[in-house]
Amino acid sequence: MLLAFGNFTADPSVNLQLLIGGLALGAIYAVVALGFVLVYKSTDVLNLAHGEFLMLGAYFALTFLVSENLNFFLGVFVLLLVMLVFGLLVHYGIMRRMVGQGFFAIVLITLGIATIIRALLLIFYGPTERARLDLLPQGSFEIGGATVRHVDLIIFAVVAGCVLLFFAFFKYTRLGLHMRAVADDIEAAAAMGIDPDKVYAMTWAAAMVMAGLGGLLFGHVTGAIDRSIEAIGLRAFPAAVVGGLTSLGGSIVGGLVVGVIEQFANGHLGTKWREPVAFSVMFLVLLVRPTGLWGRKDLERV
Amino acid sequence: MSASGLDLKIADLTVVYGGVTALSNVNVTVPPGGFVSVLGANGAGKTTLVRSITSLLHLHKGRVRRGSIELGGKSILGKKSPEIVAAGVAQVPEGRKLFPNLTVKENLLCGAASRRDLGGIDESLEQNLELFPQLRPLLNQTAGLLSGGEQQMVAVGRALMSQPALLICDELSLGLAPKIVHRLFELLTEINQARGTSILVIEQNASLALEHAADAYVLELGRVLMEGTAAELRGNPMVQELYLGGGGEAHTSYAAIERPRGGGRRRRPAAGGAR
Repeated sequence: MLLAFGNFTADPSVNLQLLIGGLALGAIYAVVALGFVLVYKSTDVLNLAHGEFLMLGAYFALTFLVSENLNFFLGVFVLLLVMLVFGLLVHYGIMRRMVGQGFFAIVLITLGIATIIRALLLIFYGPTERARLDLLPQGSFEIGGATVRHVDLIIFAVVAGCVLLFFAFFKYTRLGLHMRAVADDIEAAAAMGIDPDKVYAMTWAAAMVMAGLGGLLFGHVTGAIDRSIEAIGLRAFPAAVVGGLTSLGGSIVGGLVVGVIEQFANGHLGTKWREPVAFSVMFLVLLVRPTGLWGRKDLERV
Repeated sequence: MSASGLDLKIADLTVVYGGVTALSNVNVTVPPGGFVSVLGANGAGKTTLVRSITSLLHLHKGRVRRGSIELGGKSILGKKSPEIVAAGVAQVPEGRKLFPNLTVKENLLCGAASRRDLGGIDESLEQNLELFPQLRPLLNQTAGLLSGGEQQMVAVGRALMSQPALLICDELSLGLAPKIVHRLFELLTEINQARGTSILVIEQNASLALEHAADAYVLELGRVLMEGTAAELRGNPMVQELYLGGGGEAHTSYAAIERPRGGGRRRRPAAGGAR
């Protein structure tokens, strides 16, 4: 029945190609989902502006790496630094005043931030779409009949490196410990002398930096850079939910799984099936495990 | 080494949540190195008192309308909670409030959040494990899975990690077996005597608190109803009636009704006195 919609093939090289493309796409989803989950876990804010954060990163990459033509590494450093400052601004300028307000009031605030970012990008960059970034090596090589682009490989490696760095940060640093403590119980954390205000600020900054990195990477694989690429936030949402909104590790696996599933749906069923299939997977996972694959309810004995 | 105890002086404190007054004109003093207990039933304002000292009222939409709170002669009113912890106030919150997804060790380390002398933290951790040897094999366990007694030990240990000059324990006895509660109070007495740490315990379990504290206050409906040495309050007929589960007559206050095992408690002050 479904076959009527697509062009299924058992050709291993095609499937390998889809798998490689899926993992590269999934790695970007993973970075986006990670930033999303980080904010949700630490500050209890469902940040609907995360796709816009990433778009901001992509546009800043245009500015610093293309228009200003900075040295690649210097440009990336400046990009991430600017994103960090924006993260602090989001906290100290807006979110800080919302602490203790209702969940949906804060969700609406993030929608407002999303709208403002879209408007500012329109004002400062204009409506014209830009060519995608081509700063990473553009070559490719063949393996088992499938083409592997260097860009995809680099994306995968960078994401893997960042994820490891992130986990090490949470596990082994004092600030990481304090961030996890605040995520567990903000009042107890405050009672222990941890400053939730600082922790929240660092969380938004870290999420923004992740989004900057995501924007830089996604800017290399998207068709063109325009104000529609914020949709990546929506598309990474199933990744975060599948992994469990509170699990950083889960968001990585969720990202990869959703990326691969999307690519297979794309290859075998056609482009229009990408998102329906991704969201169906999300619904199925939620039906079986309402907290996502790795999300957990709080362990607390009262 | 721990800092020696600082005195806490709460004067004329009035706290409101919205339009509701939770504390009015409360005066409580903990002398340096003292052991003071605040007694009272549910809703008496005990936890509000703790929140006022540790500056957590704003999380519950409460605020101090009037009064002063001084630690070691310096006002701590209006400071943020991290500054207050850094000034020497640590607390064991009501209901323990561990970080359930963190390990025991991580929970303990969070207690040292305000410390600048990073080198001394390991030493404090070791001190804690000597105080609570039961925790040593549990260090890498997730705290949310421990028993209530073990959790309370972690909560006390976590508070001690900041080397407090004043340790506040809110309802230490709640929901725990009497044997464990007694052991914890003995430990508090030890810490109070050996390290000179000032201690403020907020308790519903009046007989227990009066057995260990030197001075006590009775809060009711947000006011200080009585104050005196623990011995004076133990001998006070009204305290006996309302908080020590008086002699078999009908209880008029819900504070007394809430103690189903009240009859058994009468013996404890006597036992404590004999020690």
